[in-house]
Amino acid sequence: MLLRLRLLLGLLTLVILLWATGAAALVIINEADSEIQTRLEQDYKAVDLAGSFRTETSAINTVYVVTLASPAPEEPLDRTLFDRAKEDLEANIEELIVLGVDNQRWMTSIASLREALGLYFADYERLLSNQVTDPGDRSSLLRSFGSHTQRITDLASSISHLAEERLFNASKALADESGKNTAFLATLVVLGTAIAVLIYFQLLRHLVDPVVGLRDSMEQVSMGNFEQSLPIPSSGSEFSSVIQTFNSMAEELRVRRLDTDERLFKKALVNRALLSAIPSPVYVLDVQGNTVQVNPAAETLNEALGIGTRLPGKVLKLFRNCQDQGINHMPEDPREALLFRIGDDEHYFLPRIFRFTADQGDERRYSGWAILLHDVTRIRWLDDMKTNMLSTVSHEIKTPLTGIRMVLHLLLEKETGALSEMQQTMISSAKDDCERLLTTLNLLLDISRAESGSTHLELRPTDLTKLAEQSVGLFQSNASASGVSMEIQADEKLPQVLADPMRISEVIHNLVSNAIKHCPPKGKVDIRLSRFGADHVRLSVFDDGPGVPEDCEERIFERFYRAPGQSTDGIGLGLFISREIMRAHEGRIGLAEKTEKHPRTEFFIDVPTT
Amino acid sequence: MSLQPDSTQVRSATKTRLLVVDDEPTLRLGFAYALTNPATVAETAANGAEALQFLEERCYDAMVLDLRMPEIDGLAVIEEMRRRGNTTPVVLCSAYITLHSAVAAIHHHVVDFLMKPVKPTELRSAIASVVEEADDCVLARALGQVRKGRISQGVEILRGAKPAPGTREDSWLRILSTMNDNPGDLEKIESELTDNILGQLAYKLD
Repeated sequence: MLLRLRLLLGLLTLVILLWATGAAALVIINEADSEIQTRLEQDYKAVDLAGSFRTETSAINTVYVVTLASPAPEEPLDRTLFDRAKEDLEANIEELIVLGVDNQRWMTSIASLREALGLYFADYERLLSNQVTDPGDRSSLLRSFGSHTQRITDLASSISHLAEERLFNASKALADESGKNTAFLATLVVLGTAIAVLIYFQLLRHLVDPVVGLRDSMEQVSMGNFEQSLPIPSSGSEFSSVIQTFNSMAEELRVRRLDTDERLFKKALVNRALLSAIPSPVYVLDVQGNTVQVNPAAETLNEALGIGTRLPGKVLKLFRNCQDQGINHMPEDPREALLFRIGDDEHYFLPRIFRFTADQGDERRYSGWAILLHDVTRIRWLDDMKTNMLSTVSHEIKTPLTGIRMVLHLLLEKETGALSEMQQTMISSAKDDCERLLTTLNLLLDISRAESGSTHLELRPTDLTKLAEQSVGLFQSNASASGVSMEIQADEKLPQVLADPMRISEVIHNLVSNAIKHCPPKGKVDIRLSRFGADHVRLSVFDDGPGVPEDCEERIFERFYRAPGQSTDGIGLGLFISREIMRAHEGRIGLAEKTEKHPRTEFFIDVPTT
Repeated sequence: MSLQPDSTQVRSATKTRLLVVDDEPTLRLGFAYALTNPATVAETAANGAEALQFLEERCYDAMVLDLRMPEIDGLAVIEEMRRRGNTTPVVLCSAYITLHSAVAAIHHHVVDFLMKPVKPTELRSAIASVVEEADDCVLARALGQVRKGRISQGVEILRGAKPAPGTREDSWLRILSTMNDNPGDLEKIESELTDNILGQLAYKLD
C-alpha cells in the first residue's frame, strides 16, 4: 500500500474518531439536558399541583367551613366557588395521574388522595345541601372537615415529597449515566491515542527508517564503501524507487571503482615494472622533498648506505640547490659523478635531478621531483683505463721518439758529415713530423693528466692583463707572419683574479693562437678584459674569422673534436684542455653568440676574482 | 762514420768525462754523440747496474741519467751512488717527472732536470752549466750551492733576489725552502708542494 494512502487512512480514522467523540459528547450533553428539563418541568408541576390541594382546600374551607361554627343558615350556601374548586382539584388529580403513571407509589398516593378528596367532597355536599342543622352534627361535620382537610394536605405533601424524591432519583440516574458517558468518551480518547501512536510508529517505520537508512548508506558511500546496498521495501512505497535508485547508483559506483581499481592496479604494475627494470636508483619526491616512491635499486642502495628512504646526503645537497633555484640538474659528464663507498667498493653515481609537472587543465596541478642516480662506475673505470692507457702508450711512444728526434737533430747539425740537398730535405721533413708527433703526444699526456685530476692548481692573485700581454708577446711573430694585428683593451682598475697563472696562460695562449689561425690575412685579433658580474673578470678574444659553424658550437669543447672543413692543423684538444682548466678554476669558457651588433667571433673566459 | 763517438783521439787526462745512462739505444747514441767534442768524452751505460759499475771504476765530471729504466731506475742509481759517497753531478733526464722523484732527486743534490725530448743544444748547454759551474745568474749560483749539498745557502741566495711570483726562481725558492725547513722528511715536503711546480724545475735554454 502506498505510504500516502496509509497515512491518509490512519489520519482519517483519527479524524472520524475525533468527530465521533465530539458528536457523542454533544448528544450525551443534549440528552441529559432535555431529560433534566422534562423531569424538572414534571416534578415542579407535580409539586405545584400537590401544593394546589392545600391552597384550594384551605381557600374553600375559609369560605364554607367557618359557617359550621354558626347555626345552619336559612338559605343553602352558594356552591359556585366549591364547584369551581372541585373541578380544579379533580382536573389536578387527573394531571397528577398522568405525571406519575409509571410509579406504583405515586399511583397509590394519588388513589388515596382521590379517596380522601371524595370523602372531603361528600362532606361538602352534606354541608351545601344544608341538611345538617343540628349543632352536634355540625360540629362533628366540622371535625370531619378538619380531619379530611388534614388528610388531603398530608397526602398532597407526600405526593410533593414523592415528586422531589423522583427528581432526586432522576439526577442520581443522570449522574450514573454521565459516569457511563465519561467512560465511553475516555474509551474513545484512548482509542484515538492508540491510533495516533500506531500512526507514529507506522510513520517511523515507513518514513523515518528508510530515510535514516538512506542517510547511513550515503555516509558509507561518501566514505568510499560502495558495498552498501539497502533492502528494498515492499512495492508500492514511494521509497522503493528512491532506494532502488540509490542501490543502482551504489552499484554503478561499485562497478566504476572496480574498473578504476583495475586500471590503477595495472598502471601501478606497469610503473613498478618500469621502475624495477631501471637498474639505476630512482627516487620520486613531492614538491617539499619528501620521498614518495623509490625503485628496488634505490632500496638496495639505501639499505647498503643505511639511510632508510631518504636521499643520500650528497644528493640531498644537490637537490636542495635545485629546489631553491627551481632548476634541473642534468649533468652528462661522468666526472661530475658522486662517489659512494659501499663496503670496500667505490661506486660513482651521476645524479640527474629534474622536476615534473602534471597539468590536468584545472586546479589539480601535481608536481614533484624525480632523481635518478646513473651508475657510471663502469664508465668511470673505462674512462680511467683509457686515460691510463693513453698515458702509458704516449710515454712508450715518446721515449723512442725522443731518441729519433735527437739523432735527426744531430744529423742536421752536420757534425757527422755534410748532407746532400736531398738528404737535408728528407731529414728536415722527418724532423718536422717528429716534432708534430711529439706535440700530439704531449697533448695526449695533458689530457690524461687533466682527466686524472692531477691538474692541481696553484691559485694566487694574478693580473689577467699581464698574462694577456705575455700571450700577445709570445704569438707576435706568428701573427705578423700571417699578417694579423693584435691589440689588448683592458678596463681600468680591474681586480686581480684568483688563478694559477701558468694554467690560465695555457688557456689564453690557446684562444689567441686559435684566433690567429682562423683570422684572415690583414685581419685583427682583439683581446678585451672587463669585469663580468660581481666576482669574475672576463677575457674575450675576438677575431675576424668565419667563426664556428652553428651546428658545431656545442661540440667544440669536446676532445678531439674539429669542426669539419678546417684547413689549419691541430688535433682538436686545445679547447678541451682549456675547458678542463677553467672547470678546475671554477670559471667558465665559452663561445659568445654572434649578433648583428657583435658580428665577430668571440671566445671568452670568466675567471673568479680574489 | 763510426757508430760510437770517437774519444780515443783526444787526450783523456785533460778532457771532461761524461757518463750517459739511458736504456734507449738511439737516445744513448744521440746523447753521447751530441756531447762528444774535442774537449769532452762521453761514455755510455745501458742500465742502472752498468752505470753504478762504471761509477765505481772511473771518475766523471757529470752524468746524464735517464729516470725511467728497467730494474734499477735513475732514482735508485742516485741513491746508491750518494750512499757510496759519490758526489758526481747528475743531470736527470726524463719525459715526465713526478713530484715524488723530483723531491727525492733534489734531496740527493740533483737540481738539473732535462725534459725529453731534448734538443742537442739544450743538452750541451745544460751539461756545460753543470761542468763549468756557471754563475751568470742568481738561479745558477743558487743551484750551484745545492749541487754541492748546501741547500740553506741556495735558499739564502734566492731569497736575497726576491723573485717575482710565477718565475722559475720563485718556484725553486719554494721547493728549496720547503726542503730546508723539513730536512729529510720527504713525505712532508711532497705534501706541502704541488705538481704544477714541476713545470718550472726543468732546465731552460736562455
